[in-house]
Amino acid sequence: MAKPINFDESGDSQDLQSLFDSIAAGAGTAPPPEAAADSAADNSGDSADLQALFDSVMAQQAPASAPEQTSGGGEVFQRIGHLTRELHNSLRELGFDQMLGAAAKTIPDARERLSYIAQMTEQAASRALNAVDIAQPIQDRLKSDSELLGARWEKVFTNQLSVEEFKALAADTHGFLRRVPEQTQATSAQLTEIMMAQDFQDLTGQVIKKVVDMAQTMETQLLKLLVEVMPEDVRAETPSGLLNGPVINALGRSDVVTSQTQVDDLLESLGF
Amino acid sequence: MADPSKIKFLVVDDFSTMRRIVRNLLKELGYVNADEAEDGAVGLQKLKGGGYDFVVTDWNMPNMDGLQLLKAVRADPALKHLPVLMITAEAKKENIIAAAQSGANGYIVKPFTAATLNEKLAKIFEKLEGTSA
Repeated sequence: MAKPINFDESGDSQDLQSLFDSIAAGAGTAPPPEAAADSAADNSGDSADLQALFDSVMAQQAPASAPEQTSGGGEVFQRIGHLTRELHNSLRELGFDQMLGAAAKTIPDARERLSYIAQMTEQAASRALNAVDIAQPIQDRLKSDSELLGARWEKVFTNQLSVEEFKALAADTHGFLRRVPEQTQATSAQLTEIMMAQDFQDLTGQVIKKVVDMAQTMETQLLKLLVEVMPEDVRAETPSGLLNGPVINALGRSDVVTSQTQVDDLLESLGF
Repeated sequence: MADPSKIKFLVVDDFSTMRRIVRNLLKELGYVNADEAEDGAVGLQKLKGGGYDFVVTDWNMPNMDGLQLLKAVRADPALKHLPVLMITAEAKKENIIAAAQSGANGYIVKPFTAATLNEKLAKIFEKLEGTSA
């Protein structure tokens, strides 16, 4: 469907149109007898485009290549098409389509904000890790140089060095001590860089707050809609599976662990 | 204990930051030989190429998650002997049990400390040496 929707007639937003487009693209059904009745429904206020879309959803043939499609599958698509049509009408009559449209419009904005956050945090992580990569070798060298010198000084106090060796050790130690401030300064600079890299938190914190507010609004509106549209017996609990990400709030939950100790205890209790 | 620098690790995680952190920690423990993969599918391909001695993997990744990778490793005769340590944010008991039953050698939950990583690696190597001795 490439033609633009006539907003004045039906009030359908571009987003709802895309929704129906995707249904049309995925559906495949035998033509039902009601197709004739639907094409006479222009007086409902729908644009010609949307009407044609519904007709095309109803009229598409089931492709032979669909592996699990039986004649039952074709019927399901028909009924989905009907339900979609009815849902669309109900939404429009209740005024929810405008609300959903407005809510859907905020999603690209939220996407952008979240991308921004991902970008900022990744940059900060890179900066910090780069600073570590610079500072760590400096620390390692300080450590090994001082250990070597220390070992030689041990020999001084056990009278194992000759005068010449002692003079050489004194010169080396003198040189080492002169280099130390420069190296500690370099490390401090990297520590400051790591500190500064944390400045993302202020910016991302602000953006996160905006996204949370938006999500809250959407949630309230969608819940209102769902509660009105969905019959009581259809509301089922779907199990969440094994890909849940980090536990944000473990309060009241007995199905998660909150520390490595608990992980270890669980594995031990099972004999692993 | 074998020379740590000879042991070749594969670090699998979809976040480059985490891969970097794990590699740095391994380096500090003397394990300087480590390669990376950004998901289970790439990881499995690399493993099948041979030469790896240890797998450290995240769970939640695109294309092939950590559990699927673990199962694939255990199902491949050429790879099933490889120790697999999971480092993941997944904290449900269900996850831990599934990993253990699928043959994971260790399970570290994020966020974790360098000390924990060290402890788990040592434990795995200890067990390996016990069986091969």
